[in-house]
Amino acid sequence: MIRGALLIAGFGVAASAVLWAAGYLQDPHAIDLSNRLTAPSAAHPLGTDHLGRDLATRLVWGAAPSLLVVAIVLAGGLGLGLLAGGIIALAPSPLRDAVHWLAVTALAVPTLVAALVLSAILGAGVLTVSAALLVTSWAPYALTIAALFDRIRGEVYWQASEALGATVPSAVRRHMLPNAWPALGALAGADAGRAVILVASLGFIGLSADTGQPEWGAMIHEYRMFLFTEPRLVLAPILACTFVTALLHGMLDRGSSLLRPRGS
Amino acid sequence: MTAAAVQVLGRLALSWLAVVTAAFVLLRLMPGDPVEVFLAQVNVGAGHEIVAAYRAQWGLDEPIATQFLRWLGGFVTLDWGVSFETGRPVAADFAARLPYSAAIGFGGMVLAVTGGFALGFFAAHRPGGPADMLSRVLAVAGQALPAFATGLVLLWILGVQLRWIDVFGGGFIERVLLPTLLVALFSLGSMSRLTRAGFVEVKGSPYYRTALAKGRSQAGALWHHGRAAGVLTLIAGLAPELTWIIGGTAVAEIVFGVPGVSERVVQAVNHRDYAILQPYIALVALWVALVMQGARFLRRTLDPRLP
Repeated sequence: MIRGALLIAGFGVAASAVLWAAGYLQDPHAIDLSNRLTAPSAAHPLGTDHLGRDLATRLVWGAAPSLLVVAIVLAGGLGLGLLAGGIIALAPSPLRDAVHWLAVTALAVPTLVAALVLSAILGAGVLTVSAALLVTSWAPYALTIAALFDRIRGEVYWQASEALGATVPSAVRRHMLPNAWPALGALAGADAGRAVILVASLGFIGLSADTGQPEWGAMIHEYRMFLFTEPRLVLAPILACTFVTALLHGMLDRGSSLLRPRGS
Repeated sequence: MTAAAVQVLGRLALSWLAVVTAAFVLLRLMPGDPVEVFLAQVNVGAGHEIVAAYRAQWGLDEPIATQFLRWLGGFVTLDWGVSFETGRPVAADFAARLPYSAAIGFGGMVLAVTGGFALGFFAAHRPGGPADMLSRVLAVAGQALPAFATGLVLLWILGVQLRWIDVFGGGFIERVLLPTLLVALFSLGSMSRLTRAGFVEVKGSPYYRTALAKGRSQAGALWHHGRAAGVLTLIAGLAPELTWIIGGTAVAEIVFGVPGVSERVVQAVNHRDYAILQPYIALVALWVALVMQGARFLRRTLDPRLP
């Protein structure tokens, strides 16, 4: 649990380091019309775009919305999933069935459709994207945790801890979560990757926060007419997106194996 | 059999109604009046009477329950009202666009399921072989690459580098075939992994070893004894794949400039055009409910152990 929190905190530090570094890079909005579409050079490691803006700077700034959504979705999905999973496993019948039905139904909600509907209601933005991802992402956690609860309740050590008078929260922390981490970590890795891709997809169709802000999907949309003449403008944000997705997958999956209880 | 069919249909109708009701109430309860959005769009500073007249014309002045029942009745009888934004009938708009979306979504799903099943079988037949590698690469790529970006790169390679297609022409290949392939490709990997898991489980079972001992070929024994297990694991993991296919269809339509439903919906989102959004949600919910209930029915038929 503590190490899980540390992992998330470390992730936050890494995200702020990116932002801090971005402050030391150039202004992502600085237009320089005399240096339009220049090839990569020492001053502009990835060259400039059609308005003379530095591509590398915009790429780094573009990470901010994605990482923000990832942080919100992981924290919210895990929290909601734990709560709902506990309800499915422990609550009395009508409530338990209702939450279970809700989880199974939420699994079948297309994230992009949820994002479109929520954008119509709340307006486009980082919070809307996070909410759309949360609509479905809590359900796998909840179902995994509920299944685990069911299994563990039959185990001798759980019954022993009950007999010893341990409270439910402390038993959950001691016996449930260490067993749950590997599965939850794999889910979180997939979720984080999905979040990055959804932010970019919505940015591409023009539903990200503010089309003027550097954001990978919005950049791909803005530069798409240069796909044929200056492919680097489009390929750079695509590669950034892919790289971060793969990184998050690997980090959280490996994080979960680091968090696996000793001796298992 | 008829009782079972009635039960399946009843469950289908019930879950569809629940989703559609929730979406309707959610859309209507949220702040942001479509009339005001519309008037701001056409840049008219309208008085109260005009706002009231529009609200009456669009049926927004009635209680939500009445609105919902009227809308539901209209939806079922294919009277879908007019678009708030353009004033054109929604049903006609959808009728012109739906064939594209349905072809891409349905074609993509069929391709992904059949292709994924075949790839999963060969991957399980020879673990570590070329089919297994391909299925793993596709599964990882499907999760790490953004689909719209892949579509763009595909356009660049096929249209500019190789000049095999006419990017701006918009024939059958560009508007249906390529988007369908894109949708299928992104689902193929994980579907093949699911299928593979089912087949691999069978490979550890005594009846598979018995079949081998009786002299059946590996592939023959795996196919004969494993295909039900492969189908079952594939169906069990269908829900998340189906949600991708719907979202992926929208993305593919936008990337390839297909005049499908999703393109219209994205436009409607910016204008709070509920008249477009509601039938879209209802259709998507119907499609998901149909596939899920069909999958459930198939599972029951294939696996008599299930209750």
